[in-house]
Amino acid sequence: MSSTASLRALDYLEQLPTTTFNKLYTQPSTCLAIFRRMLPHLAKTLVLSLLYMPSPFPTTSLDIWVKPDADSVSANDRALSILQRLRILSEVQDAGRPGWKLSEAFSHSLKQALTGGGNHRSFGVPCNTVDATPVTISYLDTFARNQWEAILYYVVGSAHTGLGGRNDTAAISPGTQRLLQNGGFVALRNRQAHITQSGFTFLLQEINAQIWTLLIVYLEESVGLGMEPVDVLSFLFTLGSLELGISYSTTNLTPTQARMLEDLSDFGIIYQNPVDTTRYYPTRLATTLTSDAPALPSDSSLTTVTTTTTAHNSSAAGGEKGYIILETNYRLYAYTSSPLLISILSLFTSLRSRYPNLVTAKLTKTSIQSAIQLGITSDQIISYLTTHAHPLMRAQSQAAQGSNSTSGPILPPTVVDQIRLWQLEGERMISTPGFLIKDVGSPEDFEKAVAYAEALGVLKKSFGQGDGKGRQWFFVTRMDQMSGYFKAQAGRRKEERERRERELGGGGVKREG
Amino acid sequence: MNAVDGTDRSERKDDAPSPSLLTIILDTNPFAWSLLGTTLPLSKLLANLLVFINAHLAIGHANRVAVVASHTGRAEFLYPVPALSKPTSTTTTNGYSEENHDIDTDADEGEEDIIHTSDDANKYRPFAHVEKTLLHSLQDLISTTTAKSLANTTSTMIAGALTLALTHISKTTTPASLPSNTTDSNNFTPTPLEPTEGRGLGAANARILVVSVSGDLANQYIPIMNALFACQRLHIPVDILKLAGDTVFLQQAADLTGGVYIAPSDAQKGGLLQYLMMGFLPDAVARNILVSPGEGEGVDFRAACFCHLRVVDIGFVCSICLSIFCEPLQDEMCLTCGTQLKMANYGIEPVVVPRRKKKRRKLGGTIDADRGEETPGSAVGTPG
Repeated sequence: MSSTASLRALDYLEQLPTTTFNKLYTQPSTCLAIFRRMLPHLAKTLVLSLLYMPSPFPTTSLDIWVKPDADSVSANDRALSILQRLRILSEVQDAGRPGWKLSEAFSHSLKQALTGGGNHRSFGVPCNTVDATPVTISYLDTFARNQWEAILYYVVGSAHTGLGGRNDTAAISPGTQRLLQNGGFVALRNRQAHITQSGFTFLLQEINAQIWTLLIVYLEESVGLGMEPVDVLSFLFTLGSLELGISYSTTNLTPTQARMLEDLSDFGIIYQNPVDTTRYYPTRLATTLTSDAPALPSDSSLTTVTTTTTAHNSSAAGGEKGYIILETNYRLYAYTSSPLLISILSLFTSLRSRYPNLVTAKLTKTSIQSAIQLGITSDQIISYLTTHAHPLMRAQSQAAQGSNSTSGPILPPTVVDQIRLWQLEGERMISTPGFLIKDVGSPEDFEKAVAYAEALGVLKKSFGQGDGKGRQWFFVTRMDQMSGYFKAQAGRRKEERERRERELGGGGVKREG
Repeated sequence: MNAVDGTDRSERKDDAPSPSLLTIILDTNPFAWSLLGTTLPLSKLLANLLVFINAHLAIGHANRVAVVASHTGRAEFLYPVPALSKPTSTTTTNGYSEENHDIDTDADEGEEDIIHTSDDANKYRPFAHVEKTLLHSLQDLISTTTAKSLANTTSTMIAGALTLALTHISKTTTPASLPSNTTDSNNFTPTPLEPTEGRGLGAANARILVVSVSGDLANQYIPIMNALFACQRLHIPVDILKLAGDTVFLQQAADLTGGVYIAPSDAQKGGLLQYLMMGFLPDAVARNILVSPGEGEGVDFRAACFCHLRVVDIGFVCSICLSIFCEPLQDEMCLTCGTQLKMANYGIEPVVVPRRKKKRRKLGGTIDADRGEETPGSAVGTPG
C-alpha cells in the first residue's frame, strides 16, 4: 500500500457526509476496494471477524482479544479509529454493554462481494459481442503510458522549457490542463504554465499515488460540474476490480459515469475506440487502482539484469522503478533514456553527461538548494531517490545488513544527511496544522490524555515535562477522536460524582434506620 | 538539528504487511464424509471454505491461496491446477473406461463455466476464478474415485498432502528465477509473490490450514512428523480445523509449529464460518497483535510406536536412534537402526512384596452400598 496515496484518498473520503457513505457502501465493488485499499491490516482482520457475527462484538471482548502490550494496543486503537472515520464501525449499546457493530450497508455489500451474491452488477458488465478491432494488452499499456506521461510532461515541462524533444508530445486535452491548474499543480502566469510546489510533490510520487491525487482533484471538480460524486467514486472503485484486456459495456452506466469515460480516457485510465463507443477497455492504470501492483509495468529486464536494458525501452519510459544508483561521492547514475525521467532528475541534480541508456549527474549544494527554492523538500527528494533506487542498491543494503531482518539504508547515509543539512540551511521551521489543547485538569488527566493521543498517532508535541512540570499543553493534528475522549472522560467523572453523592445519601438513610 | 539525526536515516519501514500464502489441505476421505453426512455435508463445508478463501484474497491484492486434497490413497492439487491434467482431464483417467464419457462431459461443462465467469458482473473475477477451478477439480477428483480404488485403503493421505503443500510453499516463496508466465492464470507455475524489497518473500508468510475429518493417522506417524519438523524449521504455522475423528498428531502439529487448533463440537459446526473467520483468518502479522485461540490449552503429546503404529502412553525407546516401540523387541535388535539392545532382566517378574490382603467384606460392602445409594440418588436429582 503506498501510504501517501491512500492517505490522500482517506482524507478525501473522511470529509464526506454519512449519507454519502451509505450510498457508496451499497456497491459491493466499492466496499471491497475500500476494504482492501484504505484499511490497515489489523482493521481488515477485525472487519472480517465481525462480518458474520450476528450480534455486536462487546468492547471488553475485543480488549481481551488484543494482546496487552503497548504496540498491539496502539495498533488496535489506530485500526478502530480509521474504521470509525470511514463509518464502517460504530459503537453501539447491546443489552447494556458497549459493543462494536459494522455498518449495515457495508457488511451487507462486503458479504455480497465475498459470496458473489445479489444482482448489483457492480463488478463491470463485460461486452458479450466481439470487438471488430480488438486491442491487445501491450497496446493498452502503451496507450496508458503515453497518456499519463503526457500529463507528467505537461507538469514538468512547465518547469523547464529548455529540454528539447518534448514540445510535440505535450498534447493533453484542455480539460486535463484545467484540472491540473485547479488542482494547484501548475499555475498560469502570462498564459504560460508554471509548476507549483504541489506540482513537485505530485511529480515525485509513485505512479499509483499520482493517479489517486489527480482523481481526487477530479472528484472535487466533478461536484461543480453537476456530476454525482457517489457515481464518480463508485465507478472509480469498479474500475479497480475490472480485468485487463477485456472490453466492458457502456450500456448500464449512469449518465455521470458515461460523461466520465471521456475524461478517464484522457488520463489513460481507460481506452475507448473513437469509432465504437459502446465498449471500453480498462488499462493497467485502472486495474491497479485498488491494488499495490506497479501501475505501469517496467520492462522485466530492468528489474532483473542491469546491463542489458538497452534496446527495449529506448522509446518509452525507462521503467517505473529502480533505475538510480547513488554513490557516496554524490554522483548519480540513472539507467534511463526517457526525457521525462531525465527532466525530473534535472529538477534537483546537475546533469553531467548522457549516453544512450545512461545519464550521469551529481547532487550539488546549488542543485539541491535551487530545487528547495522551487518548493521541493529534502524529504521528497530522498523518498524519490529511495523508491527509484536501482535493485543493486537494494541488494547491497540487504547484504550489508546480513541476517538482520530490518533492511539497512538504501541510499548512502552521508548523502541523505547532507541533503537534509542543505535544506536546513535555508529553513528551520516546520508547520503543522492542528489543535492546541490546554487546561486538561489534573496532571494525571493530562498524562492520560497525552498517552491516548499518542496511541492514536495524532500527538505532535507535548509541552508538559512530566510530574506536572512544564506547561500542561499538547498539540494534536486531529481533534474529532480527542473530543470524543474528553466527552467520555467528563461523563465518567460526572457518573462518579453522582455515585459518590448517592452513597453519601444511602449512608444517611442507614443511620436513620 | 534533530532532523538530521541518524535514527531517521534508514528507510522508512513500510507499514503494509507483505503478502501471505495460505495453503489449505482439505481432507476428502469419502469414508469420513459419509459419517459426517448429516451434521456437516461436504458441500456446506465447501461453501464456507470458499467464503473464507475469498476473505483471505480480499485482504491483500498479492495474497495467494492453494488447495490440496488429501484423498484416500493420493493427494492432489485442487487449486492451482497442474497444467498437464487441466486441458484434457480424460488422459489421467484412461484406466476407467466406463467413466470416460462422464468425465468428458464434466470437463466440457467446466470449460463453459470458466467462460461464464467472465460474464458474471456480480462477482469479483479473481474470486470467481478460484471458485470455478476449485469446484471443477474437486468434481474431477470425486468422479475418478471408484469403489475399486476405495477398497484398498480407508485412511487419508495427510502426509502426502502436507508434503505437496510444502513443495508449493517453497516454490512460491523462494525468489524464483523461473520463467514466470503470469498472463496464463491456469499455468501451474506459481507466480512468485510480489518480492518485498527485491527479495523473495520469506517462508514466514506462508501458512497451512488442515481441514481434517478422519481419525487414525497412526500409520503415517513418521512421514507426518517429518513434514511437521520441516514446517517447524521453515516457521510455517500449521493450523488445524478438526471436524471429526480424533488424532493426537494433528494437535501436536499445531502446537509444534505455533498454529491454531480448533475442534468445534457438533452443535458449534453451524457457525463454522465464524470459526474460520476469527480463528484462522488472522495471518502472521495479525497474530502478533491478537491472542490466538487455544493458547495455553493442554496438548496430547502421545506418540505412535514404530513397530505396530499404535498410539502409546508408555513405550520403549531405542537409546541410539530414539525410535519408539510398544513392546520389547523379539530379537533384541532395534528395527530402525539395528543396534543390539540387550535388556538383561526385562520380563523377569520383579520381586514385589505381596499385597496385603484387604478386608474385603467390609470395604467392598461399603463401597457397593455407597454406589448403590449414590447412583439412584443422582439420577433422581437430575430431573428435579
